[in-house]
Amino acid sequence: MSNEASLIAAARKGSATAFTDLVRAYREGLLRFLLTRTSSYADAEDALQDTLINAFRYLHSYDPRWRFSTWLYRIAINNVSRLRSVDTVELGDLRDEESDPLQHCIAASDRENLWQCARRQLSDDVYTAMWLRYVEDMSVNDISTVLDRSVSWTKVNLLRGRKTLDAELNKDATDDKSKAYG
Amino acid sequence: MDKLAKQLRDDAERIECTVSEELDERIRASLHGITPEAVARSAPRSKSFSFWFVSSLTGAAAAATIIAIVNLQGPAPIPETTDAVPAPLNLPTIQWHVETAVLTTPLEQEIENLQSDLKKAEEAVKQDIDRLF
Repeated sequence: MSNEASLIAAARKGSATAFTDLVRAYREGLLRFLLTRTSSYADAEDALQDTLINAFRYLHSYDPRWRFSTWLYRIAINNVSRLRSVDTVELGDLRDEESDPLQHCIAASDRENLWQCARRQLSDDVYTAMWLRYVEDMSVNDISTVLDRSVSWTKVNLLRGRKTLDAELNKDATDDKSKAYG
Repeated sequence: MDKLAKQLRDDAERIECTVSEELDERIRASLHGITPEAVARSAPRSKSFSFWFVSSLTGAAAAATIIAIVNLQGPAPIPETTDAVPAPLNLPTIQWHVETAVLTTPLEQEIENLQSDLKKAEEAVKQDIDRLF
């Protein structure tokens, strides 16, 4: 039995310590993802806490055929959707350059972070699909499970997301060249 | 890994965030405060003997009361016959005049052209997808 499987078994019996050890490796990745989907750092932290609590509470419903990270992301996405449906103000209205948590957490650079650009140009589901594919290295099947979409929807929208961001990347490169040549 | 994938991964790593000690403590405390549903459900519930004895007595008394009430009541009265349902009034019939739409040849041609364009676009997308995944 792998270490992860034994921790899951212990957590299922009610061991909070085993569960804390189990999710330690996933917490920062989840927080980074939640930061890009919430309106403040505090909201992202709350969403992370809710996700882990829900995961522990409903651990009996986890199917070992899935990757554990797939299951965690699914819970996190449901939590974020619920947070948004409770908010009466649109998230876009809350975000400005100064209050945007992502803006504060991105290391200074001479060009825009592609994920900021993705958030502006892609829908929530396509953005999430791109994140799971290129940051979490999830398979197309896992992504479709997390998003509760068909495999073909996932493939088509990953392609669309790629095309949009590719165009943005090439635009940046062209701008840099034209600046260099005056 | 292609250029875009590498760029996306690098940019995600540039988002700096850490789970603070305070958050870690908060999560730990809330996890210790809850019990997983499966564990809570399987926990045995002990009930005292007097609870079972009292509930059995209450059930038996309720059953005896219902039997007594049913047997003491006389036979149910026979309902009087009701009048027959009146025949429906003559409803006016509506004359529907429907004319068949006839597609003219240019429109049919236009549809064929659109369908063929659609097919070509579908094939192009399929090729793109197959190439990437």
